[in-house]
Amino acid sequence: MKFFSRGMVLFFAGTCWIGLGNYLLSSPADPNDAAQASLGKTIFDARCSPCHGISGKGDGAASALLNPRPRNFTSGMFKFRSTESGSLPTDDDLMTTVKNGLYGTAMSDWAPFITGDSLKAVVNYMKTFSARFQNEKPHPVHISSQIPSSAASIVAGKKVYAKLQCANCHGTDGAGAGVIAKDFKDNWDFETNAVNLIEPWTFRGGSSARDIYLRFRTGVDGTPMPSYAGTVSEKEMWDLANYVVSIGRKPVWKMNENEIREFYAKLDAQAKADPVERGKYLVRTIGCASCHSTYTDDLRLVEGTQLSGGLTFDLYPFGKYVARNLTSDMETGLGNWTDQEIKRAFTQGISRDGRKFLPFPMAWPAYASMKEDDQNAIVTYLRTVPAVHHKIPDPEKPNIFSYLWGKFRMLILKERIPSPAYPMKEATEQQPVSQISPSATKNFAARADREKEARP
Amino acid sequence: MKKILKWIAIGVVCLIVVGFIAFLYLIPPFDMLPREAFSQPHAAAVASSLDKINDPVERALAKRGQYIMSISDCNGCHTPQGDQGPNWDEYLAGGAKFEMIKPGTAHSRNLTPDKQTGLTRRTDEEVKRVLRSGVFHDGRIFEPTFMPWPAFTNMTEEDRHALVTYLRHIKPIKHDVPEWSPNSSAPLNSFYPYDYAEHEKKK
Ligand code: HEC
Ligand code: HEC
Ligand code: HEC
Ligand code: HEC
Repeated sequence: MKFFSRGMVLFFAGTCWIGLGNYLLSSPADPNDAAQASLGKTIFDARCSPCHGISGKGDGAASALLNPRPRNFTSGMFKFRSTESGSLPTDDDLMTTVKNGLYGTAMSDWAPFITGDSLKAVVNYMKTFSARFQNEKPHPVHISSQIPSSAASIVAGKKVYAKLQCANCHGTDGAGAGVIAKDFKDNWDFETNAVNLIEPWTFRGGSSARDIYLRFRTGVDGTPMPSYAGTVSEKEMWDLANYVVSIGRKPVWKMNENEIREFYAKLDAQAKADPVERGKYLVRTIGCASCHSTYTDDLRLVEGTQLSGGLTFDLYPFGKYVARNLTSDMETGLGNWTDQEIKRAFTQGISRDGRKFLPFPMAWPAYASMKEDDQNAIVTYLRTVPAVHHKIPDPEKPNIFSYLWGKFRMLILKERIPSPAYPMKEATEQQPVSQISPSATKNFAARADREKEARP
Repeated sequence: MKKILKWIAIGVVCLIVVGFIAFLYLIPPFDMLPREAFSQPHAAAVASSLDKINDPVERALAKRGQYIMSISDCNGCHTPQGDQGPNWDEYLAGGAKFEMIKPGTAHSRNLTPDKQTGLTRRTDEEVKRVLRSGVFHDGRIFEPTFMPWPAFTNMTEEDRHALVTYLRHIKPIKHDVPEWSPNSSAPLNSFYPYDYAEHEKKK
């Protein structure tokens, strides 16, 4: 009995070890795959994670201020494909996106930096974030032979544009101001806009007739832009694509003197007519939210705190200043400030109660050169930001002795005073955005050599 | 007589000490200066004359870029700090130091069109890539808290083009800025603008 049990134990343990051994030996079935996976991860972590996040959730350190937001790869949904609506993109689609970038968004063109095997490795690594890639296959659309653009084709295309009611979203003139094109949200719950079809250099998926054909043939998954597969004939689709190409206007870098003057006058008029849009543009490009938001210890903007304040600036020896709540909350925000008071605060650095701000960190001396219309636009936009109740502490001034001592060190001893303006802690998700590890590249180079030798 | 001299001496010393403390307390006189003392030099520095540009299209673009520059805070980081605030003679010449244990140390870079040390070394596309995606000419991505590109990326491509056109027409200044170094051994994070001593040393 005793013997048996010991024997059983040994036997059992033995099988386990053999099993485990087999497992260990078999899991990196192909050491090359492991090398590729590690190269893919290294590139992704260095080049893509600042936006797409280490775990591919689209929540990288820079993501919270970008519009549109970086893609969340775990959802397995992609906008720019040559495959049927709802289907996965092909590897070629993904590689084209990575090589060319998505125009008009922060997604960069990586062609100068990531090529050949590295490109394949990073695309394969990206695909591991969603289980869809293991379980499903992409269904490429059949692209009929292209009909070259001609006057007749464009006229026909215009009729298709009307028939399919593209104007509802993209506007009759294509400028993106359709009747129902308001407050669009995508499937990830972020804002999206009906693209302005007369600015072809901003088409994320490319501006050739073929690219445009693919966009409405396959739809832009995850957004209100539907697929028009089967609604009209293939010829009509090419006509429509040719029409959309034909309505593109000149970009400023191709305009002549008169055109550019008229264009800038038109922009000014538009800004005046739609101050909310202009204000939003200014607030986003100047980056008010990059200070007026709350950050975690490892320097990540807390989602949803945009413009509600919270970042602390330790401006030794002047004290600690906290970026304030700019939302329309009555008690803690700008809700019951007058327009004049808000403008005075960000252009002259004088608070509502008369307290004067330092000329940093907020660059009110720069905002002072803003045109009156633009100042008004910013105020108008800030009033539309949903109110967030977030009480901001008043600045913390040091006591007089440490203030004087700090000034003495700074001005007389000319010491370099480390001022931890941002909270300090080791970034956890944020890898050093530096070089690709040489070992990973070496492994991969070795593999490529082996492959070359294996070939006849 | 001697007594009086002694008291005068004491009085003078006291005055000097009090004066020195008052000086320390009040300098830089942020609260006492009128607000225009800050905004006017800024506006003047940005408003370099663009009339000498011959091509009218280029001039219109540069003017638009000038306005964008004047309302953005590129100066805050890219113009070196002197004792009394930005040193406008070195408009956009770079050099402020940014360091964190992780990821490392960066210096704001020289944006003037200097051939050896400035932006002339970069193509338009390379400068735009920085402002669009934070990607440097060697493929490295900038720390978003060092160089706030996630805000600038929201600019339209046309405005970005205008801004770059403006940068091509400002006064060139030779100022070599140290390259990026990862994982510095800096004891603390530090952030602009108090880098006086560092800047003095370089001069
Ligand atoms: C500067 C920020 C940024 C970086 C860095 C970045 N991306 Fe993106 N990426 C974006 C944004 C923003 C989008 C979403 C654009 C949209 O929704 O139209 C995106 C979208 C994508 C998409 C989705 C395209 C589709 O069809 O839906 C892929 C694939 C992608 N990125 C791959 C990469 C890879 C691979 C890297 C690294 C080599 C990378 N990205 C680096 C910002 C970035
Ligand atoms: C329900 C509203 C809606 C309708 C109808 C619609 N679109 Fe769109 N369209 C959108 C939205 C929203 C986007 C932007 C998607 C995104 O977030 O990338 C878009 C994107 C596009 C793009 C992609 C541009 C790029 O960035 O690459 C093209 C091309 C386009 N639409 C053409 C059309 C055409 C042609 C029609 C008519 C057949 C049409 N759309 C009908 C809402 C619509
Ligand atoms: C570099 C960081 C930074 C940026 C960028 C920034 N601010 Fe500020 N802002 C601050 C800080 C810090 C304070 C608080 C100053 C103080 O208390 O002395 C402040 C205060 C304010 C106040 C006063 C609010 C109050 O309750 O007293 C307003 C209004 C304001 N900012 C508007 C703006 C607008 C509009 C923008 C964008 C155009 C902007 N800020 C960009 C850092 C910033
Ligand atoms: C908060 C500080 C800060 C602000 C504001 C800022 N920059 Fe920078 N910038 C930096 C730093 C730091 C670097 C260098 C980053 C590095 O090497 O990692 C840099 C680098 C650059 C580069 C790359 C230069 C090269 O040699 O290729 C350009 C271009 C640039 N900035 C343009 C701008 C423009 C235009 C603005 C205003 C719209 C601006 N920056 C505002 C801090 C800033």
